[in-house]
Amino acid sequence: MLKKVREQEQTISILVNNQPGVLSRVGGVFGRHGYNIKSLCVAETTNPEVSRITLTSESDPDFTEKIKKQLDKLVDIIDVSDVSGQSYIQRELMLIGVTVKEGAYLEILRAIELFGCRIVTMTPDYFILELTGQPDETAAFLKFFQSFGVEEINRTGLIVLQRTRPKRKV
Amino acid sequence: METIGADIIIQVLREEEVDVIFGYPGANTLPLHDRLINSQVCHYLMRHEQAVAHAADGYARATGKVGVCIATSGPGATNLVTGIATAFMDSTPMVALTAQVSTSLLGHDAFQETDIIGITLPITKHSYQVHDVNKLAATVRQAFELAKTGRPGPVLVDIPRDILSSKCRLAEKQLASSKINNKAVEDHEQLERIAKTLNQSERPILIIGGGVKLCNAFRLIRELIEKAKIPFVTTMMGLGSVDSVNGYNLGLIGTHGNELANRMVHQCDFILAVGTRFSDRSTALIEEFAPLAKIAQIDIDPTSIGKSIKINLPHVGDIREALMALLPLVDEKEKSEWLQRIQAEREAIDGKAADTGCGQAGDFIRMVQEAMPVETTVTADVGLNQIWTVRTWQARSPRSLITSGGMGTMGFSLPAAIGAKVGTPERTVVAITGDGGFYMNIQELATISYYNLPIKIVVINNGHLGMIRQIQDLFYNARFTTVDLGSKVDFVAVARGFGIPGSRIAVAKDPMAGIDAMVRADGPYLLEAVVDPENYVYPIIPPGCSNIEMMYDRLD
Repeated sequence: MLKKVREQEQTISILVNNQPGVLSRVGGVFGRHGYNIKSLCVAETTNPEVSRITLTSESDPDFTEKIKKQLDKLVDIIDVSDVSGQSYIQRELMLIGVTVKEGAYLEILRAIELFGCRIVTMTPDYFILELTGQPDETAAFLKFFQSFGVEEINRTGLIVLQRTRPKRKV
Repeated sequence: METIGADIIIQVLREEEVDVIFGYPGANTLPLHDRLINSQVCHYLMRHEQAVAHAADGYARATGKVGVCIATSGPGATNLVTGIATAFMDSTPMVALTAQVSTSLLGHDAFQETDIIGITLPITKHSYQVHDVNKLAATVRQAFELAKTGRPGPVLVDIPRDILSSKCRLAEKQLASSKINNKAVEDHEQLERIAKTLNQSERPILIIGGGVKLCNAFRLIRELIEKAKIPFVTTMMGLGSVDSVNGYNLGLIGTHGNELANRMVHQCDFILAVGTRFSDRSTALIEEFAPLAKIAQIDIDPTSIGKSIKINLPHVGDIREALMALLPLVDEKEKSEWLQRIQAEREAIDGKAADTGCGQAGDFIRMVQEAMPVETTVTADVGLNQIWTVRTWQARSPRSLITSGGMGTMGFSLPAAIGAKVGTPERTVVAITGDGGFYMNIQELATISYYNLPIKIVVINNGHLGMIRQIQDLFYNARFTTVDLGSKVDFVAVARGFGIPGSRIAVAKDPMAGIDAMVRADGPYLLEAVVDPENYVYPIIPPGCSNIEMMYDRLD
């Protein structure tokens, strides 16, 4: 059953054993409970035997509680935490391909400077731009350039770290 | 003889005190089946892998031990799937060992290769594919540990053929480290609150679920009932946890439950639910379930708490430990007004219905039980025969009634009876099935005959898929379709063909003749009992209705 109430975006950080097949177990839990994953990032931690999965999902308010219980049951899961709050640094990297029409050049260059993004490559009529930022920055960036014609987007998905030194080592 | 991976498996099986496994060989299992010859592990060869899994399941349910099943790669493994899912839904501790193609062939679409890990992902507690023979012992040990701890369930270990035949040294004995156990936090304050609410309640009811059976909390739950004088209902999985012949027993709750149980749950002001997940079969329309009650729930599995119904007092933890802590906190009660009210309702309901609601079929099952020793285990299949059985068979001891509750798997009872008989040979085992479910694993007559297992098989034959027929009759304007199984098949002749004696009776005429012959038989025996296809089950809760909106007949 697909969840109908879509309230807010939730971000979860999951520490898992770095082994084949673990991601499909995690994904299966979301799929079986009707939750769609909006973004997903998986990478090794300081301990090569442990990976961190960071994912976001737009869901009903009790989503984190429910999914945490279900994920906790998986044998390869070490820890699940809700990292939606203020005490976490959130970043995402985004690449966009923008069509550059005649006359829009200056405006685009000024926007690039304002957003603090980088031109990765360019031809006379097509730029690829790179931006790293918080979710509201990447959203504003995308919205602005959409008015010029965004041909392609790719993004890493949100990654998150706790602001303070962690209490326990992975 | 050099030690190989297969020996490691047998070594771990022995460490786990497994002396019986159920299986079916294939080319890829051969290194293991070869080494079973000289082992102390007795291998029962079934006739279909689905039955392999059901037999291991029945064995586990009858003994409380971990059931072990083995199948080969590809179709052998996929045939296990229904049996694994059945075990998963009812939380049976099970280890399924599947052979796999050699590691060098993995992912090549090799002969009899299938991704059984992927296929069984949602129906196992966990699964492993072993790529290194040196990790085999630890993996199989951990599979056992996982299968039986916390909320039990099936764990699958997929072992490529080359791992089974790899040379290695025997593994050193060690206990598997398990992280699963430590998750439940005992919350004594919550138990105090539960006890206080129970003590203050005027109309309490205890719901006994399958979890009580899974953690052997029979004595404790009985002590609680007697001390608090709390009436109880059971779910289908909880049947037998307390001797059903007991003044506090209100019966089975749910869509096919007893009227008294459903009515009293609707009126109660406090529910203590132990080891139950409030399945839709138990609660019927969830919004109207126990509208006046505060609910306390004790369960080892956090995801079972509050999944379908709001729980006022949740407690995650081991049922035995929780009950031990709870018992001293519970007040010793006197006979209450509530118990008198229940007695009055009981008499009113008994006076209204002349029979069990199961007609002649129910009376017949009661006669079968009366003819059997007290130490009898019954397995019920799925459909009308299951409801007739759970409503009329008095489950006198905890593991005496075995049925597929969550999955509702037709074809379960015959192979499960094999597992039960192998696991508890001292008990009489009766397999009750309808004609529909009987067809689904009919080949297991050959297993019963081959091992000469003295199982008493009762096929209640109405020539139809009876429960589906009842639903069509009541809710689809009696437009019968795809439910007629016909009456041409001579089950007694079929049994004879498998080497099993039997007889046929009509329950409306002289059922005792057949029952007597079945009781007297030393070996296996098949009794075909013909009943009317309109012998339904009443009362029944129509789909989408609450537990007290009962239909008593077609005209309701």
